[in-house]
Amino acid sequence: MKQIPLYILITLFVATACNKTPENPTIAPYAETKLDENGGTWKTYILADGSEIPVPAPNAVASDAYKTELEQLKTVMSNATESDKEAVQFWGSNGTLRWHEIARELAANYNVPPNYNADGTYPLPDANNPTAYPRFPFANPPYASRAFALLAVAQYDALVTAWKAKFEYNRLAPYKNDSGITPLLPTNDLPSYPSEDAVVAAASREVLKFLFPGEVALLDERSTEHKNSRLWGGMNVQSDIDAGDSLGAAVAKRIIAYAKTDRMGAANKQADYPLLKADATARGFTAQWESVDIPARPPMLPFFGNVKPWNFTDDQKIALRPAAPYLPGTPEFEKDYQEMQDIAKNRTNEQFRIATYWADGAGSYTPPGHWNRKAAELILDNKWNEIRAARAMALMSTAVQDAGILCWHTKYYYLTQRPTTVDRDIKTSTGIPNFPGYTSGHSTFSAAAAEVLAYLFPSNASELTAMAKEASESRIYGCIHFRIDCEAGLDSGKKVGNFAVERGKNDGSE
Amino acid sequence: MKLKLTVLLLALWSVKTLAQSPTDGLLMQKRQWCNVLQYTNSSWSEYWEGTNKRSNLNLGTVTNQSVLLMSAYGITNKLNVMAALPWIRTGSSASYLQGQSGIQDFALWLKWQAYEIKMGSSALKFQTTGGLSIPASQYQTDFLPFSIGLKCKMASLRGIVHFTTAKGWYATAQAGHSWRSDVKINRDAYIYNNQLIYGNRVPTPNFFDATLRLGILRPKFQAELWAERGACLSGDDIRYNEGPMLTNKMQATSTGAWAKYWITRQFAVSAGGAYVLQGRNVGQSTAINGGIFYMFTL
Repeated sequence: MKQIPLYILITLFVATACNKTPENPTIAPYAETKLDENGGTWKTYILADGSEIPVPAPNAVASDAYKTELEQLKTVMSNATESDKEAVQFWGSNGTLRWHEIARELAANYNVPPNYNADGTYPLPDANNPTAYPRFPFANPPYASRAFALLAVAQYDALVTAWKAKFEYNRLAPYKNDSGITPLLPTNDLPSYPSEDAVVAAASREVLKFLFPGEVALLDERSTEHKNSRLWGGMNVQSDIDAGDSLGAAVAKRIIAYAKTDRMGAANKQADYPLLKADATARGFTAQWESVDIPARPPMLPFFGNVKPWNFTDDQKIALRPAAPYLPGTPEFEKDYQEMQDIAKNRTNEQFRIATYWADGAGSYTPPGHWNRKAAELILDNKWNEIRAARAMALMSTAVQDAGILCWHTKYYYLTQRPTTVDRDIKTSTGIPNFPGYTSGHSTFSAAAAEVLAYLFPSNASELTAMAKEASESRIYGCIHFRIDCEAGLDSGKKVGNFAVERGKNDGSE
Repeated sequence: MKLKLTVLLLALWSVKTLAQSPTDGLLMQKRQWCNVLQYTNSSWSEYWEGTNKRSNLNLGTVTNQSVLLMSAYGITNKLNVMAALPWIRTGSSASYLQGQSGIQDFALWLKWQAYEIKMGSSALKFQTTGGLSIPASQYQTDFLPFSIGLKCKMASLRGIVHFTTAKGWYATAQAGHSWRSDVKINRDAYIYNNQLIYGNRVPTPNFFDATLRLGILRPKFQAELWAERGACLSGDDIRYNEGPMLTNKMQATSTGAWAKYWITRQFAVSAGGAYVLQGRNVGQSTAINGGIFYMFTL
């Protein structure tokens, strides 16, 4: 027998078996050119301002205590391993955005609808027992939108406070005070007390623990590595880190207190869902949405529309609500219905591609996560510093959550059907979300995000607007939404985004 | 040429049946040309989510139908070339997701008998098959379990040991390895092993398969029983209550029977069945097939 082919086969197998694990690209650290010295005066969200939480004065550069810290830092740096140095580069790209990356991964991992019970009911995730099945939270798009917003606001308010203290105490980085310290990352003149990285690590860690209570160990581990990376890289002394951690945790406490009263706790009050149905019926919306899941699944967060918005009042929300959609039987409705039938019968590869690209369904980081990633990419392209990155993420993420609130309010106000509820023969190319159709969540989220990002990155404005339009149309191509759901969603999302843009223009950063 | 049903995780989450002469012990004689048209119907209502076996009311029964066109030609008595092109339709009894249909992958093999030992009226033959396949249409890949294929390019190499007696009884053992390329998907992020991967290039796991068959080959008919193990060599599991993904570690142990009858010297018909005994990230499918053979000498 010819043994040679078998030997080749075994050798090739050994050689190729190891490269079957997908890997993420690396992001190179960059020099932050702009320091934003007045960052401590920027308008905060939850804190009254950047001085509400006091930061104690650091030891002077000339003090023995600080000199001892410098010597300790040299020891820590000289003991750093290769993997420690990799961590320096990993976190050195932009700590604020690394924590959003962690949040996106958590959102994707927790974005799995619970399986049905044998009796046809569905189990509810329990925040007090988060690791038992079904794990808490079910990070669906509204939950994720709020998670990204709370994370971004915590980072931003904490960094404004940190910036205030940085330029008040003006203690420069260890490598500026001791020529014997060679930092491993690009340098600048930003005062290093308190450490902006420790501030971000602590604020992010604590808020994410609140949002993903089953992930405490992971979050502690990531936060510890983030903080240590600043020592291994010679960027901060220990007291920079400790002050940053205390500040970040104190701000997170304020954000969590806010989150406990933002009415999210009542967003899934299924017992009151019949009242919503009765109200919609009284308004003339009788052909109502029904779950297409088998067995029928209770609607997703029917009262998320009541959650407290960031950038407008509850009354303004009512004023923003899109006008009633046309009803079955009208010529306008029949036209949209005909379009669904045509696409379901003859979906092109390009329509399929667009529907899949933007689907961001179960097991993904959701549409808010898609835009969170886009914002992060733009920030990295423009090499923004931590506070400007945090401001951008806060402006966009609060607008995206506001878009979710307005959209959910609208959905459960009109309770309209989705194409497949109207006609079971309309087959889709992606999963059908478990809530009413009008208006499209993708359209509303995307228009709000694109509006804010176009303000922050004006040279990308036309690309961003086109992305939002494609995200919106993707739901038509998938037969997930009638065209009117998408058009009204785009229109109202843009208005929501504008509230955040107005805030951005007046937050003291321009 | 003999065409038999085997269960190969060539492309589908649902274990699919495909006529496979690259894995058997038979060869066409020089200038003999055999053409086959085979229909297969495979369905399952239970599947393994990782190692957890379950049903899903939102899928009901998932059915794959395929029509396979296959051809084999004897370049010499010891060297054959083979080609195959399947058309596949997928669908389910309960899902609102759109079933898919289309031409899947074009495959080409060379099969060579390297050595033969005669032992009286019996013989022991050693063969090797090398093959390549490429997607033959622009089908959707990231849409399991309704995708008609993985849409990867594939190269395979296998060794076959074939024992025959004077009365036509035979036993065949084969083992093969398939190398699969990365696949480009329409999304630009996906979960692999609970890690979020940023990108649209998805590595599909390489694949190992081994088959054992016992049968009889007579001038008018052929019949056999077989058992097979097919396994991805890497990959992750379907997460609880989530959909399958191209990266999943699909594995199955299956068994089946197959028979062929020559109506004339040129025409034959065949029928077979297959069943998945145990699996991972695949459907527990039951399959039946029927084929028509047309053979002539150039």
